[in-house]
Amino acid sequence: MSTTLHPTAAQPAPQRDAYAAAAREPDVVTGMSSSGPVAASALPCGANPPSGARAAGRRKPRGDARTSWITLAGLVVLIGAWWLSVRLLHVPSYILPEPLAVVRALWSGLAVSPASPTGYYLPLWSTFCNAAIGFAIGTGAGLVLGSLMAESRTIERLVMPYAFALQSLPKVAIAPLIVIWLGFGDGSKIAIAALLSFFPILINSFTGLRAVEPERIDLMRSLSASRFETYRIVKLPNAAPYIFAGLDMAVVYALLGTIVAEFLGAQRGMGVVITQAQAVTDVAGVFAALVILGAMGILLHAVVRRLEKRVVHWADRNKR
Amino acid sequence: MWSNTQPRLHSVEPPAPRPPLIGMRAAAKTYETQTGALRALDGVDLDIADGEFVSIVGPSGCGKSTLLRMLAGLDDCEEGELTLEGKRIDGPSRDVGVVFQAANLLPWLTVRQNVELPTRVGGKHAPGEVRVDDLLEMTGLADFGARYPYELSGGMQQRAGICRALVRNPRTLLMDEPFGALDALTRERMNLELQRIWQANGKTVILITHSISEAIFLADRVVVMSARPGRVLCDLKVDIPRPRGFDTIISHPEYARLAREIRGLLNAQGEIE
Repeated sequence: MSTTLHPTAAQPAPQRDAYAAAAREPDVVTGMSSSGPVAASALPCGANPPSGARAAGRRKPRGDARTSWITLAGLVVLIGAWWLSVRLLHVPSYILPEPLAVVRALWSGLAVSPASPTGYYLPLWSTFCNAAIGFAIGTGAGLVLGSLMAESRTIERLVMPYAFALQSLPKVAIAPLIVIWLGFGDGSKIAIAALLSFFPILINSFTGLRAVEPERIDLMRSLSASRFETYRIVKLPNAAPYIFAGLDMAVVYALLGTIVAEFLGAQRGMGVVITQAQAVTDVAGVFAALVILGAMGILLHAVVRRLEKRVVHWADRNKR
Repeated sequence: MWSNTQPRLHSVEPPAPRPPLIGMRAAAKTYETQTGALRALDGVDLDIADGEFVSIVGPSGCGKSTLLRMLAGLDDCEEGELTLEGKRIDGPSRDVGVVFQAANLLPWLTVRQNVELPTRVGGKHAPGEVRVDDLLEMTGLADFGARYPYELSGGMQQRAGICRALVRNPRTLLMDEPFGALDALTRERMNLELQRIWQANGKTVILITHSISEAIFLADRVVVMSARPGRVLCDLKVDIPRPRGFDTIISHPEYARLAREIRGLLNAQGEIE
């Protein structure tokens, strides 16, 4: 997907990314996966250098370079502290493995043919596909229902109380039920990913579609525009920043939902890789899988960001 | 010299006076607020002829924007009657272009797309729409069609807003403090430009403004409204030849007299903008 993007359209703001990551962190934590924060701090290079290099030509190249140096320095210090604490405190490897053991585990999973049953590629692909399909279904449905709610007070009154009730329910708690209904195949993974990515889009698109300046609605009314024209030309673009903020959350939630479903029972996927490593107390293997998942999360997040910069290019500069 | 093809009746009777393009009869508006009813407009009577340029000034909150919204068909006129070409106004009309405060361009569309917007929405369109290129050319925006609004200065944005209001070639242009957000120099330039556009197109224009000099400079008539609830206090004819220029109009005795009179009326209302 990233190949279709125009390179100059990207205007990465590392601070903003860091902020977004920080804002997302609590959700990831409550979503009972620690992969987000750990992997995010372990792998900043995955996302930063490409965007940083492209930003160099446009603005504050020195500031960007400094930011990535600081991030890199933080990573080195973190890994150093990890290594030292394992060595000096004699932490057993089934609690916390050495950094090098994790690298070795990573290598053994990556330096194989893509079709290898022991490599990361097949389970990663399976997890990615299920998360992506779930994401597409969940965000599509969320946008449609959010739009209907924004357009019709009746639908809003009908759906809103339930949406909020479900929103406050920890949705991963529904996962076992869905596995009972849909079984251990891909269906349950897709369904949970869709369920988790549905709500951020529902709420954000609804909020964004309602947050139109009345003058813009007046403009469309003065032109005798139809309801759909007003929706398409004014409301939807106006909601785009909100929708992208929702997509940003949803992409991580979709991944989270897939992994949780895989924990509950699956034939393949990164969740299976983790539970298998756990079964033989291969902690280094668990860490390696977390690093992979973290890298994937960062990558998907970066894709959404890139897309947002391209589609909603007017948003930042309009608020001067 | 009677024409044979014309029935005799027509030439004998005096020609019926053309109905005004826009008529306001005891137009009033009351808003329901949390603290009770708020009377915004109280019986406005005004006729505006085809091709006339009328400025409306008044203390802030006197309901002049409400009046304009009602003329644009955006707000209902519950009491009295507003007519356009003899027909009661009951909704937005294709024959009316609205220029909003602060341009009101859509930031996700290019300047050209913004200007074309009226031709893209609102169902079928009669031929006779103005070419977008001509409008952009006329307002000096020809090189900026592919730019986005945030890349334009405030004055250029408002020029694009005027283009958008003109693209359906409406007979009437309603302008609600269009230059209020601009600095004084840009504002003068925009006034000159608007005068030029008006002289070239012969539209009927109703301009709401806070600026007395802008009101006199542009208008054939300046209508002064009272404080809330708004009524027409005074309807002043501006007898200054066109095209007017800012340096010449200031020394014109008529300008000085009108400015003094309007200022006095607004002062008597306890407010001067």
